[in-house]
Parts: sequence; structure tokens; C-alpha cells
Amino acid sequence: MNISPKLQDADAFYEQLLDAHSGLSRPESELLNARLILLLANQIGDARLLAECIVAARGDASLANAR
Amino acid sequence: MSERPKPSRAPACASGYAFAHGSGYALPEYPFVEPPEIRCAAVVRHPVVIVGAGITGLTLACALARQGVAAILLDEDNTVGVKGASSRGICYTQKSLEIFDRLGVFERIARKGVQWSVGRTFAGADEVYSFDLRQQENFQLSLQPPFTNIQQFYIEGFLVERINQLNAKATATRQVQLRWCSRVTGFEQHRGFATLTVSTPAGSYPLQAEHVVDASGAHSPFHSWCGATMHTTQGDDRWCIADVRFETPAPAERHTWIEAPFNENRAVWQHLMADDVWRIDYQMEPDADPACIASEAQVRERLRRQFGDRVQWEIVWVGPYVYRSQCLERLRIGSVFFIGDAAKIVSPFGARGGNTGVADADNLAWKLAAVLQGNAPAALLESYNEERLEAAQTNVRVTNRTTRFLRPAHGVERVFRSAVIGLARQYPFARQLVNTGRMAVANPYTRSSVCAVTGGLSVQNVRLRWADGKAGCITDLLQWADGRLLLLAFGDLSAIACQRLIRLGAQAPLRSVQVHAPGARPKARESVLDPLGHVQGACHLFGHAWALLRPDGYLAATGEAVDGALVAAVARAIGMHTKERA
Repeated sequence: MNISPKLQDADAFYEQLLDAHSGLSRPESELLNARLILLLANQIGDARLLAECIVAARGDASLANAR
Repeated sequence: MSERPKPSRAPACASGYAFAHGSGYALPEYPFVEPPEIRCAAVVRHPVVIVGAGITGLTLACALARQGVAAILLDEDNTVGVKGASSRGICYTQKSLEIFDRLGVFERIARKGVQWSVGRTFAGADEVYSFDLRQQENFQLSLQPPFTNIQQFYIEGFLVERINQLNAKATATRQVQLRWCSRVTGFEQHRGFATLTVSTPAGSYPLQAEHVVDASGAHSPFHSWCGATMHTTQGDDRWCIADVRFETPAPAERHTWIEAPFNENRAVWQHLMADDVWRIDYQMEPDADPACIASEAQVRERLRRQFGDRVQWEIVWVGPYVYRSQCLERLRIGSVFFIGDAAKIVSPFGARGGNTGVADADNLAWKLAAVLQGNAPAALLESYNEERLEAAQTNVRVTNRTTRFLRPAHGVERVFRSAVIGLARQYPFARQLVNTGRMAVANPYTRSSVCAVTGGLSVQNVRLRWADGKAGCITDLLQWADGRLLLLAFGDLSAIACQRLIRLGAQAPLRSVQVHAPGARPKARESVLDPLGHVQGACHLFGHAWALLRPDGYLAATGEAVDGALVAAVARAIGMHTKERA
């Protein structure tokens, strides 16, 4: 898993992500996120890398922040 | 039939299909013949006793009969299938059909059943994707089709007749006795054998067995008798089958709706079987009441919503069901081997129940025959547990994933499924995530003590030519090997290699055949032609090499030179090296 910066334009990507959700209800947003995850996962493809990303996303520290 | 749910059990606990109503089928009835043990005080010890004449028990019995191994098959009623009702399994894979070909019942199955290779998946009004297995390279080389659909009881009936046919040609000491109306009511395990109590209309009697094979299904009493430990998961998914005969002919395709508008956006399966009967399988509300969903009025209303008012049909059979997943931790306990649903239970999606039961039987049959006929040490039998437990665990995992797709939990699981279905309409990549059942395959063996790392794969029944130019196939070669290992030596063979093969054949249960291209001059005593390279391809090999096949059509090992490595592979394949490895 690559943890060093790799995004060509981080601020623009973040803005696009938020803009994509604007005006959507909570369920619509959840569906968009799910579709996006699946599309991105297919770009990665590599099974081990995907598994590492899932573990990293599930990391207890970040989940604690959310609560 | 032992696998039938007992009347006292509510369908909510059954993984089998409970009969509700319908015109049904006329099933054959077999006579109860009073066994000699009833009037005889001496207890007879048999080499093999199989309990349960379902598809797995009968497959094993037929395979043993073909090998001339004496056995007793006990079944608690006097017919095949579920009495007065339809069958459970309907879909048989290429590997199962290849096994039935070896047993001599494939032709009848092919004549009665319906072949199919096209599957279509729908969500709402849209077709999400379709496939044609004939276009897939891994299916097209076998003489058997990718799938044949047929009611399970037909195959069971064919196997009964085949066993009787084989018995008629065999001496009494090599017959497989079918004992109907014989329920096992008691069991005791001893050192090296077991005692069973058999209850019949003429009374009870004890029976001893060196090897007991439990093929008595999901509610086997042997689990508690043997102290078997297992993992079980029970969900809340509910389904209801309607087997229906239509006036108009149906397409020979598998249709699946993940979300059917005519079934309140729940799943529907539609499959053709023999006798122009369609099996239509409706997903119901979670935790729905089986009696209610199977009521005739409800079933008629469901069919009307799907097919409209103008289509004429007749209900053959209706059965609500619940499935669970269950896997024993060991498939052998003392003298007892567990096969079929007695070993593991899977959801029906992907036809992994019956087909893997048939594979269990085929795996155990040749090993029992080899050990009982003195061709292999008893240690070979332990590999049944290694190989079929790996297969069972894989099949449970694969079917549980399907279950999770078809019955997602509320919340995020449902959100992801909606995302998959939406994307799949538009983008090919998402179609691989649509899981309406992964069709059963010949499971590979990766941790078997009797297979080399190059082995453990199934070899398809491809075509070849005999030395005289006549058409043949892998099944013919396996029949020729007659329960022994089969060595296929590809390409040229040196005189020394030929001598070694002759010596090896004299010392080990092995028959060798040279496989060569047209025009080459064979040097071995026996040879066949592989004009299209299909045999070599089916053995997953290139160039000068050998493939060691087992009687179940699996590779034990492959290699290059006819040398000590081959000798070691032969020894290992019959279980002679298992102790050293452990």
C-alpha cells in the first residue's frame, strides 16, 4: 500500500469528491460512495493491495475519531 | 430416503425440500427382501456398509459394484427421491456427468435430461449480463456437456438399475446388496469395525462393518453417534419452489432475477428440467412462514404475476425451504466416512450440494476398492478426509458468499449490492461482482498427502484415438486401467523408459500407455494417439512429460523423466508415503 502522496492535485480531487455529494440525500450519498469504492477498487485490481487498504481504512484510530 | 426431512420437523429447520402439494411423479418402488441375518444368530461382518440411498450413497454403491467390491447399501424407505414428490437436485456438472459416464448411466441421463449452457441474469426489467459456457474454453473439450438438468430421482433410479445389472454379472461375494426399508437405529464403534442395528418390517438385526459410509443426509444420526463436531450457520432467507409444467416449450437457459418486479423485487430462479418441467424458485420475505408461502393460492398468484393469465401451466410440486451451511471438522471418524450432505451442507446456489456429494463418493470409491483389494495400504483412506474436507470447506465458503449477495443484511450490505447492480448494467467490470451462484467445479486438492504439488487437478474426458485409429476418450482409458493408476507418457520413450514402465506395472497397481502424435512410432506396449493435443492439454502439460491419473480422473502428479520421481509419485498416490510425511 502506497502511503506517500500520489495525488496529482489533492485539493481539486477533494473538492470534486465533496461537490459530487452536494444536493444528495444521505442514502444517495451512501450509494455514490459505494459506487465510487467499487470503481476505484477495479482500478487497483491487486488483491493484496485492496486487502491492505480495507484494513487501513478500518483502523481503530480513525474509527475512534469518527465517534 | 434418509435425506428426506422427517415429518415431525418443520420445513423451517430443513435444508431439504419438504413436500407441500402438487401432482408429483410416480416413483419406482423396490421390494423389501428379508435379509438372512434376521433368522441367523451369527453376526456377519461386511467390508463396506453404506447408509442412505440418495445420489451420493448410490454413486458410491455403483462405483464399488463396478469394481467388484462387496457392499451393503441400507435405505430407510423403498424408493428414490422424496416419496410422492419431486427431486431436490436438478443441475449436474460436467465432472458429475463424467463420473456417471464411467459408471455407465450417462447415456440415460443425457437422453432424459436437458442440456444448457446459456445463463441470463436480470435486475428489474433489464438483462444485467449473460454467459454461454460453450464459448468458455474450460468446458468445451469434454465429451460431456457443461451441464445437464434432470430431476435427481431419475439419476438415482438409473443407478439402482445399473447396480442390479452389475450384480447380475457378478459372483455373490462381489455384489452390492441394496436393502430397502432398512433403517439404522443403533450404532457402536469398536476398534477396526462398527456394529449397526438395522430395523426392518421383518424385525431388527445387527450388522458389522469394517467401513461405514454415512450418506444419510442433513439429519444424519451418525453425527451424534460419532461425536462429530461441526460449524453451522443458519440464516433467515426463505425460498419456495414451484415445479411447473407448461403448455408452451421453455428456453433451455438458466434465468436468474436478482430483483424480480413480479416477486416484490426479490430473487427468482428459473431452470428447465426433464419432462418439460420448469423449476421456478422464488425468494420470500426473510423469516416467512413456510406453510403460508407454500399455500396453493399463493403459489398460483405468484405464477400468474410472472407469466400472465394466458399461459397454461400445471403445478407438479411445491416445496418451501430454508438452507443452512454446515461443515464437519473431520469427514472420517474411526470406521465412519461422511459423504454428501452428511459431510457438509451448502445453500443450493451454484449446484454445489449434489455435485460435490457425487465427487465425495467417487473419491472414496476407488480408495476403498484399492485398500480392500490389497492394492494400497489402509493409510490411503485418510486422504479422503484431506481432499474432500478441503473441497467441502471451499464449497461452504463459496456458497456463503452467494448467500450474502442474495440476502444482504440491511444497511451497508444492501447499499453495496445496489451499487453493484447499478454499475453492472453499464460497466462489464461490475458484472463479476454479481453473485447469483458460482457453478460447481471439480475442486482442486492443494493439501492432499497423496497428490504432488503438480497433481490435485481433475482431467476432463477429452477425445483421443486408439492405436487402430478408432475414437476413444479418457474415460475409456480409465476403464482400461480398471481401478489402477493410469500413467500417460507423452511423446517419445527410450527403450530403458519402456522397460521401467513394464517393471513398474508388475510391481504397482498401474497401467501405462504412451500418448503420441500421428506419424510418430510408439515404443511402449500400449499406445494411443492425441492428434489435437487435447489429452496433453487436459493434463495441464506440455512437451515430453508424464501424467499420473487416478481412477477418479484426478492427477496424482506430473513429471518429465521416467525415473525415480515417477516411482515415488506412484507410491505416494496409493498412500505408501503418508506416514513419513506426517
